[in-house]
Amino acid sequence: MKSDALRGHLDALLLATLDGGQLHGYAIIEALQKRSGGALDLPTGTVYPALRRLETAGLVASEWSTVGGRQRRTYRLTKAGHRALAAERTAWREFTTAIEGVLGGGPWPAQA
Amino acid sequence: MAGAGVIDDYVTALDRRLRGPGHVKDDLLAEARDSLHDAAAAHRDGGLTEEAAQRRAVAEFGPVNAIAREYQGLLGLAHGARTLRTVMLVLPLTHVMWELNRKFWIGAWNDFDAPPPDWYLVIARLNDISAWVVAGAAVIALLIGRRLARTALSTVTLARLAGTVAVVAVGLNVTGNVAILAGTAHLDAARLLMSPPVAAATVVSFVIALRLAVLARRCVVFSSV
Repeated sequence: MKSDALRGHLDALLLATLDGGQLHGYAIIEALQKRSGGALDLPTGTVYPALRRLETAGLVASEWSTVGGRQRRTYRLTKAGHRALAAERTAWREFTTAIEGVLGGGPWPAQA
Repeated sequence: MAGAGVIDDYVTALDRRLRGPGHVKDDLLAEARDSLHDAAAAHRDGGLTEEAAQRRAVAEFGPVNAIAREYQGLLGLAHGARTLRTVMLVLPLTHVMWELNRKFWIGAWNDFDAPPPDWYLVIARLNDISAWVVAGAAVIALLIGRRLARTALSTVTLARLAGTVAVVAVGLNVTGNVAILAGTAHLDAARLLMSPPVAAATVVSFVIALRLAVLARRCVVFSSV
């Protein structure tokens, strides 16, 4: 999947990967790739600036902590982040329902 | 080990392209280096040699120029936000410090020999309220910036917006200080030196204003990508 198509959804995808608990940056990238079946293909270096921007927005919080014996910056959702994720999920369901209604029903019957 | 420095070379190249607050930059680069080593380890586990694993990790991370642009946006934004927070706190404190100093050492202002002209009163009033107006503008900019960070605006754009507000805020403060000083000197120069502690407080206010001007200029430099 092209990175340009993903960029508009990157914030929501990052929030979703943190829904299960705190993760460090590379674990977030692995989670994105795993949950998308490897279809999400964007430069991994763009993930960190996006995470920091979400932190500026108050949607995630981060701190250095020891993970697997190494110091890593780990990220977690804030309360505002949980609310933003819920709103993103609702908007996404409405969007996909609408698009599915138009695109997903197979060929349209020929008009008389 | 051949190729073992691929990640180091990449991080060094990224480092050379970035300008901004040292602690934020170090933090970003440390995280980038960790991520690249994590990715290289995963590729080694997948059977690649050390050099191939590092080259693949670097390739996946993205072209250094494109990644540097995004990181520079973050650095510019971090510096812009810090400058606005400094403006928000320091300008009102400086103003209060100067006024308390003046009240303690001089007391109420004595009237000029002749009533001051209208332009001087306008400058004096604007100077009195400018610290609070500028601090309020910084608070509003920080709050709006936090909301805008949730939109699709890039960090580079956010950094430029923060820098613009900081430059205008600090510019107003410096202009106000210079205007009241020049106006007072024009009407009654002796008044500027009638109390050494107050004169010293005035000098301190100018030093603070110049420091803020340096910070505001860096906002422009760091957000130029």
